[in-house]
Formats: sequence, structure tokens, C-alpha cells
Amino acid sequence: MDMTANAVSLAGVTKSFGAVRAVDGLDLDIPQGQTVALLGPNGAGKSTTISVLLGLTAPDTGHVQVFDRPPAAAVRAGRLGAMPQEGGLIPRVTVGELLGFVAGTYATPLPVQEVLAMARLTGLARRRADRLSGGQAQRVRFALALAGDPDLLILDEPTAALDVEARREFWDGMRRFAARGKTILFSTHYLEEADEHADRIVVLDRGRVVADGGSREIKRLAALTTVGLTVTGDTSWLAGLPGVTAVEIRGRRAKLRSTDSDATVMALAQAGAVRDLEVAPADLEDAFIALTGRHAAVGASPPDSPTRTAPFTTTMPAAGTAGEESAA
Amino acid sequence: MLGYIRLELARVLRDVTFLLFGIAMPVVMYLIFTSAGLAPGAEREAALFAMVSMAAYGGMGAAFNNGSGLAEDKAHGWLRQLRLTPLAPTAIVAGKTITGMVVVVPAIAAILAAGALVHHVTLGPGQWVAIIALLWAGTIPFTLLGLGNGYRLSGQAAGLVNFASSVALAVTGGLWLPAQLFPGWLQEISRWTPTFNYADLSWHVAFGQAPSARSALILLGWLAVFGAYALYGYRRAGRRA
Repeated sequence: MDMTANAVSLAGVTKSFGAVRAVDGLDLDIPQGQTVALLGPNGAGKSTTISVLLGLTAPDTGHVQVFDRPPAAAVRAGRLGAMPQEGGLIPRVTVGELLGFVAGTYATPLPVQEVLAMARLTGLARRRADRLSGGQAQRVRFALALAGDPDLLILDEPTAALDVEARREFWDGMRRFAARGKTILFSTHYLEEADEHADRIVVLDRGRVVADGGSREIKRLAALTTVGLTVTGDTSWLAGLPGVTAVEIRGRRAKLRSTDSDATVMALAQAGAVRDLEVAPADLEDAFIALTGRHAAVGASPPDSPTRTAPFTTTMPAAGTAGEESAA
Repeated sequence: MLGYIRLELARVLRDVTFLLFGIAMPVVMYLIFTSAGLAPGAEREAALFAMVSMAAYGGMGAAFNNGSGLAEDKAHGWLRQLRLTPLAPTAIVAGKTITGMVVVVPAIAAILAAGALVHHVTLGPGQWVAIIALLWAGTIPFTLLGLGNGYRLSGQAAGLVNFASSVALAVTGGLWLPAQLFPGWLQEISRWTPTFNYADLSWHVAFGQAPSARSALILLGWLAVFGAYALYGYRRAGRRA
């Protein structure tokens, strides 16, 4: 058995596609038994990182080890189960046949009935794999990843195509698998998902780890709120309001980032400054900036030029709502 | 690997259009070729020769089609899924090759049956057994070439290249027109093609001779080349499929 405790070890990994550097000097160790979320917007390098970990993509530079072996060897040894973003379901076979086949390629698979139960597929074993609803197909692909009872499960945006109910069922299944002492790495661009389901959250941006922390830290971020209002005259006092961590002015519009929106709004009301008030959860961009310490310009700026140069193209949707397809 | 073969066979045996097309095409061609004109006075020889040629062509075509079917696998992300299982690339290519050995059977059998039933070709039992075995086993290099193209090329391109390959190999190997009718330089090329040597093994048996060792060796050489090509193609394909 392995003497080290790391399921995954990435050191100085880079990978470019043409002029685009998808992964740029990535370092990441994942001890066995952890459930880790890889969080980042589209294009942050999540899918490429996963592809490298699965041995599907060879990195340009750096070292990649999965259970102290090259990824392809770990796959061959049956240590790894993976759920890619899409695909894997072929016509003219049943769900049961497909699962039985994949399980049979591992030395010590889970019983197919158990996999069906864990992925909430009981009753679908005789259904043709190409005649499933989107949610069912996603669950089958999850089941395929579990079937071999691998020690490390890698899931690339596992809930991207699911509705709220299907999502909850999916995470139930994942928790049951994690409870068996397994290591799980999943990517997501939902802050809330990472927060709820991971022990640890690794934030990727432009191919690098920009933050790496526990759920508590992320909770603080998720609680971030943006308070917007129309202002005239002097705005310097806004930064001193309770809860406010950053102020951004565009023309006559002020945007306050607050850790305590109630207190901020109360103070604004007392100052008689409530005009066109808007309170909204922080978007992912705000969360990233807070997390990475990359600071927005504070103060006046020309109305039509963006104050921030952050590269994010995706914003954090309202927690738990279905988001856009990822295409990283 | 047995599980993989079982799965692939289940998929192919449920593909009715694929099977029917694989059988019908060469049978129709055989009947057209042989009805258009069997050399007068040598009808029996001509029917026998053409039966072997067309059975070889049908077997080869089915072998290539097996590889063209990989387009569907790619489109469904199946190659990547396979790559994420502990199955070794050699096991996957071998499994798919064995599937190919099953799908060529109906095509070969249908043409031999057409020869026996329509043109009353008669052979000794030993000859039938030997011809069936040689026509069957000899499809393996073509299966591997078809798989290599299927793994390496995009779906549509793989189908076209496989079709073009089977036609080019059939023509140069003398399966459509006997190689004896070729100009000298083309005959020389023909003698090195996998198709000529594949069919030649069975032509020898059909006309009461022992198959030539030269043909067997050349076919084995092609087997090694196409086998390496298929493995190379698979190793590359699973990465980005």
C-alpha cells in the first residue's frame, strides 16, 4: 500500500493549447480521504487540470502523481474512477450491461445492485443507455465512475446538466461514497456547491491556484453582499460604514462590498443616503477578488471603462439555480 | 477483456442494418460479377475463382466496416470512457479485433453459400473447411487497418478512408479483375498487397493446391504493420476523443 498520504500530487504543472496557457504552474496536493472542490469560472483551467490528472492530457512541464504513480498507471491499477463532463453512453446496450462491463474491468468492483442504488438508478438497469433523460444519463455516468469502487473519484462539473432535485440526489450519492473513506475531487463553478459539499476548496484562475482553503473561509465569501446606491458629492465616507470592505464608484453609482449588509444599509439609512438602493449577493467575480486579494480600484473612474481588469467571464448565479453549460 | 468482447458483440449483433448491409453488398456484387459473363467453357473455374474473390472482398469489407463503426464510439465519448477503465490498450484493440472476426463471418458465409447454391460450386469437405478458415483468419489484418483508421481519423473521414482502402486493395489485389490480366508492373505490385495474398491462400486451396508460404508470410507481415498502426491509433485517440 501507499506510504504517503497523498492521493493526488501536482507540482509545477503547465499545459498550453496554442497560445493559450490553460494550466500555468499548478501546485496541488490532495491527501487521501478529502473531498475537494475545484472552483473557478469557465476557462480557469479546471477541465485541463482534470484531464491531466486522468492521464488523458500530458502536461508540458511539471510532475503529476496519483497514488504515487503516473496517472495512466493509476487508472490501469483501478485506483481511479472518473466522470467526464459528457459522453460515455453508447447505443444498443442497457444501463445494466454498461455498468457490469465497467465494473468487470476493475479488480474489486462494487456489486452492480449497490452502484445502482447509490446512483439512484434502481429500476433503470434494463433501459437502453441512449434512451435516458438528461438527469438519468448523468446518474448513469456517475454510476460508471463509482462502479469499480475506486479510491479516487474525479468528477468534472458533475451537476452542470441537472435540475435542483437531481442535484440533491446526486450529492446524496456522492456523500455516501465519500463516507467510505474515498478521496473525491470535483470541479464546479458554483460557489455554493463547493461550500456545501467539499472539505476544502481550491480556487483556480487562469491556470493557477489562487486560493485554497476550508469551507469556513468560503462561507465568509458567500455571505458577501453588494450594496448599490446612487450618490452625489463626497463619497469618501462610504468606505467607513460598518461591514464595508470595498467601494467602487462609477459615475453616480456606488457599489459597496459588505460583509454585513444589514448594518451597512442601516447606516446608510441613518445618514439619509438611501437612494435607488440595491442589495445583491456578491457575484463570483467579487468573491474571487476578495479571496485573492486582487483589489478593485477604489474611487472614481470613467463611467464607461471597467474598473476591474479581472478576467472572469462567468458570474456567480444566484445560489443553486441552473447555470450555463461549461465549455472549458 | 472477455467482458469487453461480450459488450461489443452485443452492440454489433443488435445493429441489424449494419449486419444486413455487410451481407447484402458482397452477395449482390458476386451475383452481378458472375452473371455478367463467366468465360464460356470455364464456367466452373470462373465461378469458383469469383466466389473466393468476392468472399475475400466481402470479408475484407466487413472488417473495414467494423473500424468505421468507431465513428459512433467517438461521437459518444466511448473511447475516452474506455480509456478511464483499467483495461489496457492492447486488450481493447484485441477485443475490438475479435469482434471484427465475428462480424466478417456472415459476409463470407453468404458468398460461399451463394457460390454453392447459385453457381453450384462443388469442393471437397476438406477444401471447404480450409477455405472458410483461411478467408476468416485472413481478415484480421484488414480489421486492424480499419480500426487504425477509425481510431486515428474523425468519424466521417474514417468511413471514407476505409471505403477507399477496401476498394483500392480489392482492385490492386485482383479481387475484382484477376491479377493475371494486369500489366506487368501492376502484377508485381499486386503480389505484395495484403489482399492478393489473402485471397491467394484460398485460390490455391480451391484449385487443389497447397497455400503458398510466401503469401502467408506477406500477410503476416501486413498483420504486424496494421496491428502496430491500430495500437498507435488507439493510444492517440483516447486522449482527445
